[in-house]
Amino acid sequence: MKPAQFETHEPNTVEEAVSLLESLDDRAILAGGQSMVPMLRFRLAVPETVIDINAIDGLDYLEEDDEWLRIGALARHADVEESDLVAEQYGSFADTAPLVADPQIRNRGTVAGAIAQADPKGDWGSVLLAHEGEIVAQGPDGERVIPAADFFLLPYDTTLDENELITEIRVPTPAPREGSAYHKLKRKVGDYAMAGSAARLVLDEDGRIETATIGLTAVDITNVRATDAEDHLEGERPGSEVFKRAGELAAEQSNPESDEHGDAGYKERMVNVLTQRALGDAAERAGLVKRRVSQ
Amino acid sequence: MTDTREITLTVNGTEHTIDVEPRQLLVHAIREELDLTGTHIGCDTGNCGACTVLKDGKPIKSCLMFATQADGSELMTVEGMEDLPEAGDDLHPLQEGFREEHGLQCGYCTPGMIMSGKALLDENPDPNEEEIREAISGNLCRCTGYQNIVRSIEYAAEELEEGEIAAADGGVVTDADGSTITPAELTDEDGEFDCGVENCCGGPTTDREHDSVSGGERE
Ligand SMILES: Cc1cc2nc3c(=O)[nH]c(=O)nc-3n(C[C@H](O)[C@H](O)[C@H](O)COP(=O)(O)OP(=O)(O)OC[C@H]3O[C@@H](n4cnc5c(N)ncnc54)[C@H](O)[C@@H]3O)c2cc1C
Ligand code: FES
Ligand code: FES
Repeated sequence: MKPAQFETHEPNTVEEAVSLLESLDDRAILAGGQSMVPMLRFRLAVPETVIDINAIDGLDYLEEDDEWLRIGALARHADVEESDLVAEQYGSFADTAPLVADPQIRNRGTVAGAIAQADPKGDWGSVLLAHEGEIVAQGPDGERVIPAADFFLLPYDTTLDENELITEIRVPTPAPREGSAYHKLKRKVGDYAMAGSAARLVLDEDGRIETATIGLTAVDITNVRATDAEDHLEGERPGSEVFKRAGELAAEQSNPESDEHGDAGYKERMVNVLTQRALGDAAERAGLVKRRVSQ
Repeated sequence: MTDTREITLTVNGTEHTIDVEPRQLLVHAIREELDLTGTHIGCDTGNCGACTVLKDGKPIKSCLMFATQADGSELMTVEGMEDLPEAGDDLHPLQEGFREEHGLQCGYCTPGMIMSGKALLDENPDPNEEEIREAISGNLCRCTGYQNIVRSIEYAAEELEEGEIAAADGGVVTDADGSTITPAELTDEDGEFDCGVENCCGGPTTDREHDSVSGGERE
């Protein structure tokens, strides 16, 4: 189906985009379009005006400074996939990028757009939660920083103000002895997750778990943190037994729905397994564990 | 109510200026305004990849992008393949691969497969099977089971590699040991050109009695 008619604006700056958001009533932001174009085609979205942000200069960055890995609003999934910086330092990001959709979609779709889309099956939301990342948004009153934990409300609904534009997604640069990983179960290459688990571990000098953060994909109404599993892990030494219990706790806390790909019980078991695997990889990458712990 | 907008697209090396509505999808502009119907439409959801074209060298799904968003960019569609230098007077090695290795049945997915294959080989001339499967993971085929598609792309990679060795900056062929042979040395007594490559294109002196570009020979 063709989208209904609309007008387009192509602002060249963030300020211009924000003032368009403010002055126009019935409008939608278009970034990579990999979710927006289908929504327009199915007329799930019928805006009068589309604000295409692709002409804004300087938003396509992926860079690191002392504090943050910063992903500009126009950085594509493929930019993350191809980044050496990510490959070396950000295990879960390196795991996730090639698992999002397919190569064509990764060339257009943006990380920020995926976060804004807030699809509970989206992969980046759980990774952002596990890294305690932030969403930087520009609105009429200036910049606002929203912690990932406060961002997702409902499927496709977030705490972003309707006049705000996301300019950056960011996560803290890794601490010493930090490792992270993402594991995803999908029916076939290119599909959304049936379940996914992003884990991040920071170990102390003795090799005990100082911080554990886990984000889950596709098993609740939004991407969620597996807080019970996190609590269980903190203070422990990484190992199969603690990871096994953490997997069980993550599964217990998740709320998957039965669908044509599997019933809820199956998905809970998958949360358990994926979480154990992600923890194993995260521990290995944190540098103090020699081998993958679980599998 | 809505105005149209003038955009310029360079498609397969030729510049076109067309008027499009903001809601016009790139795939429709390519098929309906430019009459390049090699790019197919197979789904409404961005899943099938039949509409894959290269935008500034990268594969994208042209049904998930508005034509206005491609203003000023370089596009390549399957129709452009036979005009590439690697195609010589015939089909491009990728197209030839699909014919040789039976990489298609109904052919619906083929243009998209070829464009994804092209993007892969441009980046990675010697891909392994896993890399080929990954590169075409956004392209669905209802007919073949993919095995022959993978082989078709492998065929093209081999052909292109041989072509590379035989390629000629100015017709100079590099031998395996790196020494160069000039075209004169390759011409035998009858003046026939022999570059030493199996399935040689025939070189500049051969009659062009190869398969015609459009129909090709069926086996
Ligand atoms: C076949 C298919 C398979 C897919 N598989 C996966 C998958 O496995 N995993 C996964 O995570 N995703 C998947 N996706 C979604 C893909 O990742 C999209 O790219 C992503 O969800 C949206 O990003 P986008 O840049 O394309 O945004 P758009 O489609 O342009 O926009 C999406 C939404 O975000 C809003 N938005 C975009 N940018 C901003 C901004 N800067 N500020 C404020 N709002 C903004 C838009 O208004 C819109 O509401 C898939 C998509 C398709 C079509
Ligand atoms: S028609 Fe574009 S992906 Fe199917
Ligand atoms: S050959 Fe029929 S869809 Fe691929």
